[in-house]
Amino acid sequence: MNSADLPDQSLILEVVVGFLYPFMLMLGFFIIVNGHHTPGGGFQGGSILAALFIARYIIFPVHDMNSERMHVFQRVFLALILITPMLLLFTGFIHRNPEYRSLYLLIMNVLIGLQVGLELGVAVLRFAFFEGVGKTWRL
Amino acid sequence: MRTLLSGLLVLAMFILVIHVSHLHAEAHEPTLFQYVTNNYESDCHTTNAVTAILLNYRMYDTMFEVLILLTAIIGMKQFLPSPDELTPDHRWRKKG
Repeated sequence: MNSADLPDQSLILEVVVGFLYPFMLMLGFFIIVNGHHTPGGGFQGGSILAALFIARYIIFPVHDMNSERMHVFQRVFLALILITPMLLLFTGFIHRNPEYRSLYLLIMNVLIGLQVGLELGVAVLRFAFFEGVGKTWRL
Repeated sequence: MRTLLSGLLVLAMFILVIHVSHLHAEAHEPTLFQYVTNNYESDCHTTNAVTAILLNYRMYDTMFEVLILLTAIIGMKQFLPSPDELTPDHRWRKKG
């Protein structure tokens, strides 16, 4: 299936979402990376990253992303989320080396953000395409 | 009639439980609140108290919260077919 088979999409929507796309990406990573100094964090930034999948689906509803592979990546990040505090926090490493505390928070925020983003992305794609490709809504 | 009676029973039990728990309500000293608000910057080197609680004081909570998300996705993948698993007339494709 290529883009010629798709129903006509609103030009306003395409242009606006295409313009906002990099800004959404930037905002998501900004919220994740600054999670330990400003309001926000991994969960919030990850949700914004998942909004990228929704935006892409709205303007270009083609089922070309492998949600199985996304799920594999998401499980890898989940394992890292479980392993990192076990190695760093629960062993007392962070307590003995206070200079690594900010780094630990940054790593955890990035891992949680990517994991939540991929996870919500898998959910959105699965719901969006479960009736098959080509059944899209139009504005 | 039975529906009404059982509804009334449920409502009465609800009010009873709320009342009993209200009788034994105790005002706790805000020890933990004061500790966290006073010490989170020196403990965790962060200016965001929510991050300090999520990723330092309550790390177990965050870990299992993330696991709950995974459980939700696994259940969804189990019950929602992907387009590859469906025939064009929206039936399950036979395996193998």
